[in-house]
Amino acid sequence: MRAIDAGILVCPECHQLNRREENHDGLQCVRCGARVHARHPNSLGRTWALLLTAAILYIPANLLPIMTVSALGKGEPDTIMSGVVALVQMGSLPVALVVFVASILVPTFKLVGIALLLISVQRHQALSARQRILMFRFIEWIGRWSMLDIFVIATLVAVVNFGTLARVEPNLGAVAFATVVILTMLAATTFDPRLIWDNTESDDDHE
Amino acid sequence: MHDSSRSHDLGELSLDKLVACHECDLLMLKPELAPSERAECPRCGFELFSYQPHMLGRSLALVIAALLLYVPANFLPILQLRLLGQTTEDTVWSAVAALYESDLQGIAVVVFLCSMGIPLLKLLCQLVVLLSIRWDVGRGYGLLLYRIYHHLREWGMLEVYFMGILVSIVKLLSLADLAVGTGLACFICLLLVQVWLEITMSPHQVWEALSRGRAHASH
Repeated sequence: MRAIDAGILVCPECHQLNRREENHDGLQCVRCGARVHARHPNSLGRTWALLLTAAILYIPANLLPIMTVSALGKGEPDTIMSGVVALVQMGSLPVALVVFVASILVPTFKLVGIALLLISVQRHQALSARQRILMFRFIEWIGRWSMLDIFVIATLVAVVNFGTLARVEPNLGAVAFATVVILTMLAATTFDPRLIWDNTESDDDHE
Repeated sequence: MHDSSRSHDLGELSLDKLVACHECDLLMLKPELAPSERAECPRCGFELFSYQPHMLGRSLALVIAALLLYVPANFLPILQLRLLGQTTEDTVWSAVAALYESDLQGIAVVVFLCSMGIPLLKLLCQLVVLLSIRWDVGRGYGLLLYRIYHHLREWGMLEVYFMGILVSIVKLLSLADLAVGTGLACFICLLLVQVWLEITMSPHQVWEALSRGRAHASH
């Protein structure tokens, strides 16, 4: 049985149970005072909006250079992909793999994964609830790791700073990329995982 | 259906005998936990709560340790690079400053928040919450700060930053003479203490402690 069927709402912040009151929409949690709703309000709409914005920014994030490495006055712009290729050429395959996963695979997987979750909730179908909750948890957990490249840029900009001899400068692609990561992280928080279970009938097995 | 009557009973019970899964909304009888035990939702596997023995004292010790490590971790050199007689240093703070001096201040703000600002705010929130429980004062503020802490939680990215330092080391090794500084050791310690703290400071115990105090105060 779901808590919502028993007229009980779970506080989104402290997880305290609250009894739903008649003709009362904006309930406040008895323990922590947060606003309590049965489900996040307009969860699907908000998540779609954030996701689509992220998908649009995903294009400049991958095409524009994220940083320029210049040595002896000769500058060489780096995109996300060219950074991975450079690591492969240097022979550090494991690190290249980590950067590839964090900067290319994860953002792409997140965009596709959240879209799949939204569609499957809206169409009441496809993947099983268990598969979807595993996917959601993975997306929620892995999201922050995409910031990796931004922190690499930060470290390189600070340490490779020898004037005209050698320097690293950040470029516009980094802004687009950081925004994509932040937007997809927000999309994971606005998505309400309880919606995944709302249209399954497997409740009865677990009482 | 045969179990509709049972379901009905569950809804009639008093709220403190029940627990609902935060991720899938399954309603259950609240289990009694012994020290160091944890309860998981039988349907989706989400951790409902865990019971940490001596939560308050251990968490306070870890928060203070983390705050002490915070300054050296952020302001002592993490990397030193030598090129043709010139030496440059990188600290967490100087990375933010260097980004700010380039024309992309937005990135500097993001890096500052994720690596310095939010981790510090999180620790301060945790400290005030724990002190308000221990000294039994200002529980209302404790509740508010603990709510803020939960919103900040995933935006502090020390472990990702650490990974970024490792990738930078690999990228720089072939280019120039590289040395790691004491700041890196402090940063790793801060990271470990902070992870340990998040495991120790069991949210459901903190919420219960905070609300217990308020119930006393209102009587």
